[in-house]
Amino acid sequence: MRANPRDVRTGILYIDGDVAAAEGALAAGCKFVGGYPITPSTEAAEAFVRRAPQVGAMFIQMEDELGSISAVMGASLSGKKSMTITSGPGFSLMMETIGFGAMLEIPFVIINIQRGGPSTGVPTKTGQADMMQARWGSQGDYEVITLSPDSPQESFDFTIKAFNLAEKYRVPVMLMSDECVGHMTEKVVVPEADKIEIEPRRLYKGPKDKYVPFKPDKDLVPPMVKAGDGYKLYLSALTHNERGYPTQNIKNSSSRRLIDKIRLNADDIIEIKEEGLEDAEVVVVSYGITSRVAFRAIEQARKLGIKVGNLRLVTVWPFPDKKITELSKKVKGFVVPEINYGQVVFEVERCVHGNANIILVPHGGASVHNPNDILTAIKTIVKDKKRYDGILEFKTELELRIFGSGDNK
Amino acid sequence: MNKNPILNALGETLKKVGIDKKKVCITSDIFYKPEDIKPLGVDFYHIHRGRSIAFATGLKLGNPALKVIAFIGDLSTLGGNHFVHAGRRNMNLVTICINNYIYPFKATKKPVKTSFSTYSNFERPFNMPHLAKSCGAVFVARWTSLHTKELSSSITKALHKSGFSAIEVISPGGHYFAGIPDLKEEPDLIKFYYKNSEIKNGEETMNLEIEFGKKIIVGEFIDRERPTFIDLYNKRLSKVLGDKFEPYGGNRD
Repeated sequence: MRANPRDVRTGILYIDGDVAAAEGALAAGCKFVGGYPITPSTEAAEAFVRRAPQVGAMFIQMEDELGSISAVMGASLSGKKSMTITSGPGFSLMMETIGFGAMLEIPFVIINIQRGGPSTGVPTKTGQADMMQARWGSQGDYEVITLSPDSPQESFDFTIKAFNLAEKYRVPVMLMSDECVGHMTEKVVVPEADKIEIEPRRLYKGPKDKYVPFKPDKDLVPPMVKAGDGYKLYLSALTHNERGYPTQNIKNSSSRRLIDKIRLNADDIIEIKEEGLEDAEVVVVSYGITSRVAFRAIEQARKLGIKVGNLRLVTVWPFPDKKITELSKKVKGFVVPEINYGQVVFEVERCVHGNANIILVPHGGASVHNPNDILTAIKTIVKDKKRYDGILEFKTELELRIFGSGDNK
Repeated sequence: MNKNPILNALGETLKKVGIDKKKVCITSDIFYKPEDIKPLGVDFYHIHRGRSIAFATGLKLGNPALKVIAFIGDLSTLGGNHFVHAGRRNMNLVTICINNYIYPFKATKKPVKTSFSTYSNFERPFNMPHLAKSCGAVFVARWTSLHTKELSSSITKALHKSGFSAIEVISPGGHYFAGIPDLKEEPDLIKFYYKNSEIKNGEETMNLEIEFGKKIIVGEFIDRERPTFIDLYNKRLSKVLGDKFEPYGGNRD
């Protein structure tokens, strides 16, 4: 299915990442946003508010983030493509409902423009520390999909992709952007509507009396119906069977399928961008804004004659296990820069199985890495002969200056 | 005939109310068994706790043709804020608040103990009708669960109203109140509430406090008109955007 020309602002735009995400959502056919203002995501909501009434979409400012995301669940089940826009503190409030959405397999998108630090943190500055929360922030087992853009263009493209994945797999999809990308203004090329591929809702087409709400198709995803279409739905957030009725028998419930529909379709979902991996001695694994910073370090290292591969995670969750394991057998080590004190690096470590060295280049947030730190990490890992005990945490130049000499090899 | 008196009243209402049952959705953060719900012939969503009204708001805005009934417990003990704001916005919803006194019950003669207040509960309960009125609800009523006919009539009126309706139903939480002296069985409690109530339609809501040793006043208290959220949205945006704006959903069904 192609996008509706009315929804797409075709042309070459000069907009920031937040606005680009809102434009992406509109292009993807999003017709409902429930939101609550929070820095640094506000511009995305503002952009949506301006255009929504002109394309038959609705924006409502709910009483809080709990209300916003709950309204998004309702709107999605009534048949509208829906999303919410937030940042860390709001994201935390949404956790229980993300679990609810995963449980009832409601397609929806969350745009999380990450800020720095825990709790109220640094509202106006960047961070990448919500990655693990995005994965497992709500209670119980479930799987989600996250996408990490590194530019306004990608904010636009990945928001469309997020909606497509949400509808295809009936799963919460999160655009894990950050303040830097959100507030960075760049050229964004918005293609014509007929060049934008849109995933329509998986609507049930069989006879009405044969509909079983959670009976999956071959790809483990069940088709949906809209509220008020006369299917006499009974959907419960309790652990439920195919009919949606509560059950305590986990084997008969949808619990396993919630996981499998993502894990078994991982090859179809996972997207990575790679470059120079063929003969690499070192691979830099990065995502979001950090990829752009890492790129500078990679260029400099190559000038010094070091063979550095660049692996960008577009989908951080599900994680590209196979790719990392495969690489770990060929390379000397991995350098993982991220704007937190170590989250995705532990996934890299899990997949490396001790085959190679790993250096984490952490960052506390509120700004991005100094590319020199990543370069130093690359040089270190190439030079070192011995196998590290676990992950080597790289002390940045800034930290050394503040805390005195650390164990910086 | 449904064993649950409140669902029974709702079932009776839906038979006669003259609204397409297909378009009726119930959202509830209280669990009801599928076998109790299925005979109603409506869509039912069992929501995670406390978010029934917010979810219902989304359903209604997603498809304004739906008639959404939101069940909440004890003034949405969790998520009371959604109640307040749905009233303020005048969202077109029918809220049925099953009040089983998570906040305490004072109409008994002896101080009440609940399983969570072993040494008796000393807190003040909500005056739900008064709160609903101040938030802007267009229809407010209170009944006990044995006032089946009256309750059914109030739900009918609420379903035909345009705007936020709040109906409080005083009903026992059997497990929770198992510790009330002399009232060990749930039917006893239902009868106790019924006997201790007094119908006063149109009573000023500030007089509806549930107080120690006094009768529970039940009835229909508020019935008024206010423009709904969608009415105001359409009015304002048509004015600002003119032809560029396509009215959203329509104000009624």
